[in-house]
Amino acid sequence: MSGALLSVQRIGERMIRGSCRRFPADVAADRYREWSAELSAILDDASLRSPFLRALRALAFCAGIARTTRQLSRPARAGARSGKNGQWRTGAPRTRPASMAVRVAVGLAAWLAVAGLVIAMTRLTAGPHPDVWPLLLVVPLGIGFDAYCLRDIVRAADVRYLRKWAWALVCLAQMPLGGILYLAIGRIDPAQPAPPGTPS
Amino acid sequence: MKLTAPLERVLRVLVADPAAPHYGYDLMKAARLPSGTLYPMLARLQQEGLVDSQWEDQRPDAGGRPPRKYYRLTAEGARVARLELARAATTAGGTRHVAAWPVPGAQGSTL
Repeated sequence: MSGALLSVQRIGERMIRGSCRRFPADVAADRYREWSAELSAILDDASLRSPFLRALRALAFCAGIARTTRQLSRPARAGARSGKNGQWRTGAPRTRPASMAVRVAVGLAAWLAVAGLVIAMTRLTAGPHPDVWPLLLVVPLGIGFDAYCLRDIVRAADVRYLRKWAWALVCLAQMPLGGILYLAIGRIDPAQPAPPGTPS
Repeated sequence: MKLTAPLERVLRVLVADPAAPHYGYDLMKAARLPSGTLYPMLARLQQEGLVDSQWEDQRPDAGGRPPRKYYRLTAEGARVARLELARAATTAGGTRHVAAWPVPGAQGSTL
C-alpha cells in the first residue's frame, strides 16, 4: 500500500473510531475491529486498479459507518430518554412550540435590537455613517445564524467527528463558515427517516 | 419483516451460497449497497436471529492483515429468506424489477 493510501487508512480508522464512540465500550471495540478490517480490505481491493478509487470507496465506507452507528445507537438512546421529550438531552419537559406569529415577532424584535446596537456603535466609532444599512442586515443575520447553530449543538444528543465544545468553538471562531461547516457535516439530523430494511 | 429492495438484494446474495462466509465489503459489492445501508440491515437481521457473524480464523498467509468478520444465514434465516424471496417473486410488481438486478452468484438460484 502506498503512502497516500496509508494516510487514507489512518483517516478512515479515526473516522470509524469516532463513529464507534456511540456504542458502549465492548461493542465499540468489537465493531471497530470489524470495520477497520473491512477498511483495509477495501484499500487492498485488487479489483480496483486505481488507488484513487480505492481511497474514495474507503472514505465512502467510513461515511456509511457513521450513518450506521447513528442508526444503531438511536433506539438505545431513545430508550434512555423519556417518552416524547426524547429529543432533548436533559429530558426536561418540552414546552409547546411557539406559534409562527410569535416566532416572527420575536425575530423582528431581536433584529431591531441588534440593528439599534449596530447604529449606536457606528455612531460612536465613526460618526454619522451613511453606509450602515448593509451592516444592519448582515450582523443580525450572522448573530442569528450563530445562535441557531449553538442552540442546535447544545440540544443535540450527539454530534459527528468532533466533541460538542469543539464544534461550538468552531462556530464562534469562524462566524458564518464554522456554522455552515457544522450544519453540513457535524449535525446529526434527528428527523432522519428510518433506514431501509426496517422491519415493520 | 418487510422485504424492501435493498434487503431483498442482500438476502439473494446470502441465499445464493448460505454456507460461504460473506464479508461486509463483499456483501456491499455483491448487493450494490453502501455500508450505511448494509450494516444497519445486518445488525437487524442478527438481532432477529436470521444471520450470525463470526471472526475468521487468522490465516498464516494473511500477511499481518487483521481478521475480518463474516456473516452467514442461520438455518432459520435461510428458511425465512427463501420464503420471503419466493413470495416477492410471485407478487406482481412491487419489488419484482429487482429480480433483474445482476447479482453475482445468484443466477443458479431457483428463486
